[in-house]
Amino acid sequence: MTNLVKFQIYRFNPDVDKKPYMQDYSIELAEEDNMLLDGLMRLKEQDDSLTMRKSCREGVCGSDSMNINGKNGLACITKIADLEQPIVLRPMPGLPVIRDLVVDMTQFFDAYNSVKPYLVNNDPLPETERLQSPEDRAKLDGMYECILCGACTTSCPSFWWNPDKFVGPAGLMQANRFIMDSRDQATEERLENLEDPYRLYRCHNIMNCVEVCPKKLNPNAAIANIKDLKIERAKTTKKERTIFGMKVV
Amino acid sequence: MLIQLLTNKYPGMRLWLSQRLTALVMAFYFITLLVLLIIIQPSGFVGWHAFISPIWFRLATLVFFMCLFMHTWLGVADVLQDYVFNKTLRAYMQIVVDIALVAYLFWLTFILWNV
Repeated sequence: MTNLVKFQIYRFNPDVDKKPYMQDYSIELAEEDNMLLDGLMRLKEQDDSLTMRKSCREGVCGSDSMNINGKNGLACITKIADLEQPIVLRPMPGLPVIRDLVVDMTQFFDAYNSVKPYLVNNDPLPETERLQSPEDRAKLDGMYECILCGACTTSCPSFWWNPDKFVGPAGLMQANRFIMDSRDQATEERLENLEDPYRLYRCHNIMNCVEVCPKKLNPNAAIANIKDLKIERAKTTKKERTIFGMKVV
Repeated sequence: MLIQLLTNKYPGMRLWLSQRLTALVMAFYFITLLVLLIIIQPSGFVGWHAFISPIWFRLATLVFFMCLFMHTWLGVADVLQDYVFNKTLRAYMQIVVDIALVAYLFWLTFILWNV
């Protein structure tokens, strides 16, 4: 029995091509080639100019995220048998294409870095480690597993229109991950950091992020949690108010 | 907290929360109206006139439409912030919407108080 698989792949080499085009491929796969990444590696044996990122090939590094038949996902954990043919592969939408399926993720990581995705704790370092109760640790479940593949953020129209201003689902979920961390001391700053009308509130809950996450995480719930916390904060904190330039007590 | 909402200290949350608050008021009005219609079941010109005439009903309807217009304003502002990047063009488009909403509000008040 033959195992012929048809592909239609976005090709663009800025050194040679004036504009991108779709290239058709048909390739005979071996019996052990179950995953899309296996198929792409076979294709690369046939056409070594085809460019993509890949590393761990088991859904941990997030390198091979791409748009597969119109939906973002990881090639290494997507079964070829589950896909309609021809398998249409494009780079993740919303980011500049470097070449073929490789995108420039600078804007994605700029947004991610803007939420300070690291523990802020000004207490003196303990002798061993900063302890956390099992209950507090459990609050990080469903967020720390994010592999930063970018599938969610690049499937979000709010990020497509305002990639320089909207943090995007991946970055916001990491903001929530550190807000919820019992060892972190910068909750107030983190919430203030997301106050302008763009950074957090461009999210209109269309749930594309939840739909595509290859790790089955829920960035939308994390975003909703941040919004709830901001309301709680507004209830409890007394901010200095001014009306017509005068301080209101 | 409501005063903080009205000031500009929480610009992002202010818009987001206002949209939800106006939606709540509209939902409350709509459900109450439905219940009243089921209970009273007005029919004919006289019945409907009597149903609409009380001042509390007209005021409640005015509040409902004010919330609807504010909700619309916030929704349009959201869409314009998403898609229109030129700030001058965005401001002009917003002014057109503002004028339309204010005109609707006057028109509505005129209708309600001429029943």
